[in-house]
Amino acid sequence: MFVNLSKLHLKEECPLEDKGAPKLCMKALPGEGAERSCAFDGARVVLMPIADAAHIVHGPIACAGNSWDNRGARSSGPQLYRRGLTTDLHEMDVVYGGEKKLEKAIVEVAYTHQPKAIFVYASCVSALIGDDIDKACQEAQKEVSVPVIPVNAPGFMGDKNIGNRVSGEVLLQQVIGTAEPEEDHPFAINFIGEYNIAGDLWGILPSLDALGIKLLSSISGDGRFDDIRKAHRAKLNVLVCSKSLTNLVKKMEQKWGMPYIEGSFYGIHDTSETLRMIAQMLGDQSLIERTEKHIAEQEEKTRQIIDPYKKKLAGKRAVLFTGGVKTWSMVTTLKELGIEVLAGGTQNSTPEDFLRMKALMDPEAQIIEDTSAAGFLTLIAEKKPDLIVAGGKTKYLAHKTRTPFLDINHGRSLPYAGYRGMVTFAEAVHRTVFSPVWEKLRQSFPPGGEAR
Amino acid sequence: MSVDTTCCNNSCDNQAISEWIKSEEYKEKNFSREALTINPSKACQPLGAMLCALGIEGCLPFVHGSQGCAAYFRNNLSRHLREPVPTVSDSMTEDAAVFGGQANMIDGLKNAHALYHPAMMAVFTTCMAEVIGDDLKAFITNARNQGAIPEDFPIAFAHTPSFVGSHITGWDNMFKGLLQSLADPRHGKWTNGRLYLVPGFDAYPANLREYRRLVDAMGIPVTILPDASEPMDAPHTGEYELYPGGTPMAELADALNASGFVFMQKYSTQNSFKFVKNVQKINTEVVTMPIGIKNTDNFLMALTEMTGKAVPAELERERGRAVDAATDAHQYIHGRRFALFGDPDLLIGLVGFLLEMGGMPVHIVCTNGNAKFKKEMDALLASSPFGSEGKVYIGKDLWHLHSLLMTEPVDMLIGDSHGKYLAKDAGIPLARVGFPLTDRVNLHRSPIVGYQGAINLISLIANTFIEELDRTCSDERFELLR
Repeated sequence: MFVNLSKLHLKEECPLEDKGAPKLCMKALPGEGAERSCAFDGARVVLMPIADAAHIVHGPIACAGNSWDNRGARSSGPQLYRRGLTTDLHEMDVVYGGEKKLEKAIVEVAYTHQPKAIFVYASCVSALIGDDIDKACQEAQKEVSVPVIPVNAPGFMGDKNIGNRVSGEVLLQQVIGTAEPEEDHPFAINFIGEYNIAGDLWGILPSLDALGIKLLSSISGDGRFDDIRKAHRAKLNVLVCSKSLTNLVKKMEQKWGMPYIEGSFYGIHDTSETLRMIAQMLGDQSLIERTEKHIAEQEEKTRQIIDPYKKKLAGKRAVLFTGGVKTWSMVTTLKELGIEVLAGGTQNSTPEDFLRMKALMDPEAQIIEDTSAAGFLTLIAEKKPDLIVAGGKTKYLAHKTRTPFLDINHGRSLPYAGYRGMVTFAEAVHRTVFSPVWEKLRQSFPPGGEAR
Repeated sequence: MSVDTTCCNNSCDNQAISEWIKSEEYKEKNFSREALTINPSKACQPLGAMLCALGIEGCLPFVHGSQGCAAYFRNNLSRHLREPVPTVSDSMTEDAAVFGGQANMIDGLKNAHALYHPAMMAVFTTCMAEVIGDDLKAFITNARNQGAIPEDFPIAFAHTPSFVGSHITGWDNMFKGLLQSLADPRHGKWTNGRLYLVPGFDAYPANLREYRRLVDAMGIPVTILPDASEPMDAPHTGEYELYPGGTPMAELADALNASGFVFMQKYSTQNSFKFVKNVQKINTEVVTMPIGIKNTDNFLMALTEMTGKAVPAELERERGRAVDAATDAHQYIHGRRFALFGDPDLLIGLVGFLLEMGGMPVHIVCTNGNAKFKKEMDALLASSPFGSEGKVYIGKDLWHLHSLLMTEPVDMLIGDSHGKYLAKDAGIPLARVGFPLTDRVNLHRSPIVGYQGAINLISLIANTFIEELDRTCSDERFELLR
């Protein structure tokens, strides 16, 4: 089934007139750049970390060929989700339609890989030539004993955000609530929108284990299909990346009466705050006390470890450009290391995220309005930050301007979430800012010229 | 009949399954796939077109189609090159899919021109624009007529549908587009006395520099077209330069007056080759990518043939050093069995190199290879006793290769970073050659072509074997001398 866009309330969610606010329902300006990915990518980002499912991209080689296994979402078990599965549509398929090929591909993947479920993604081409992937999935379902689930988010629908939301709808309508857990755990929660990039999730789990909180399902980092089916029996949804799945938690609340909170596990303050909220929401007095004790212990321990870094980093200034929860959570996290945010910006987040970021930043700090490469360069030349915190596409641009850069998006190889992640983050920032290479870049050659 | 896909226990990656995946029975099942591709070793046309466009000075690649594609291309090239890659997209969405992409194109050209001040743009398409049949030529003309871009602003264009061919096809189409759109017509018999060298899809800036060095040493005036060596590997000056070099526009304009063209790859330049040789009637040669000693010899001889210039003493001495290096290291490579995957031209070059070292290519997988390639590869394998076990698989993917490695083991895998999982599963080392190389640094900064490239490849392969031996051998076999 096609998720009707108007049902996703995108238009109503575009209330912000602020400069630099994310344009949820606005189209990207043609010719401005190529920073933003598409609805298909957004759908993929949400669903593909479900590790024991097969994910078939129904389209020409472009979509899967350029993207398979390109995100650092980790799995502690099955690695099936990393396989690049595609129908690789050719000219003849475009002319005659690709539905039959897709049906066959679904059966073939069932035979060769024995997945727990099969997700099928539409692409620009399959949608334009009128392939009915829902029908193909139904046909294939007759021959396959695991659920076959169509995901209709072809790239031309728009930005990544839209695809994220479509995925949420798909999970809600076809996965969540289709199985029951064996036991009713009093402290069962779900994470929504935590993708276990570089193993982020594993920095958070030790705290949950210590407190006796059960992670019933993770949507979707290190996720398992069967766990997600039972997600409706959790006592609480914790929305970790609000940009992508706000619609999902709201609808789960309507449907199953599950309360939700929005939190973040980046930085000491946000981690503690989120754990505190979880305990409060679960409402068990002894859990609340345990949580406070745990927070106090962990905070002290973590602050002790990062203190030497903080001493050295104090007073450094950063430019932050990212998406989702990191938009605002990174502002506090950097502050905890004594780093001030000079300018911040986002295009991949919700208006709420954006407003939070604004509230946390120094009133003097600049909101990045022009998010193109050109605008970014102007900003750096003007602000001369000590550090740029952004995603992979900006990395080498930053290097060329002699500015230390920290990758915060999916290209990174280090986990920054939870108390443990904060230590990793502090080490990484320190290593980045104080590398001797920046010095090398600033020396003139041949010697005697002006140092830059 | 229903396929029972339930697993024996909670994990699909359990022992029984992973054993089964290694079996002959599974291989048969795997090879009987008709509709499903698993882990393709190819990307799409516009990615190749983009790399091609980057090689012209001041050129901004312009993707006409969906915006996600362009973001993917930038990511892919950036991760391999560790450089910023400038590209814009005109971000076609639903309405463009219905009404056509002309409005996006005109706005896009206007904005890109105003924002990034390119000297020229290279417009190419994603599959979305191709399915709805957008007419690039008309759109560009209309953009000029509406004043979105200056009347005389140079734009090259190419149709690069991703449902045809692969990234090498796109490179080819864009190259031909550059010549057709921006090269001046020939002045009859007069030539500008320059040799034009066309690298084909090559993501090693060091290879392009090596070509230049070799041709310079021969004393031949040369233009590398397009030359993306600077954009792919720009020096650090403290300023970010959007357009850090490339083939000057004037040399592109003068291309059809060349004294000759030499194409360094065959399969990624098929259309362009025909255009230059048969349509433009220019003295044109195509050589096997000069990987290894013999292929480099043939390349230099082809240059001599075309220009009458002799191979200078310095290159002869260089060749001698490469032969010496091959002699010193032959025992590490001779008789070892290899599996390879990658682009067709790269594979022809590499297999030739392995054969001359006494290495035995066994499995050769080329997702984007055609029948012509298979024929050439079969002939190459048949030319040497070391090729007797070699089998070529065109249109197959890395999951087919997985089965081959499991059922007929080899000693080493040669291919890009995507091969690391296969190598790990098969318990063999991976020598990283090709595109993309995302998990090691600076490999693209050493040439794999020419005599120096032969030495580099010998070192890479032999040392990878020796590293493996050192890591795995028992104490009594752990030697200072290898």
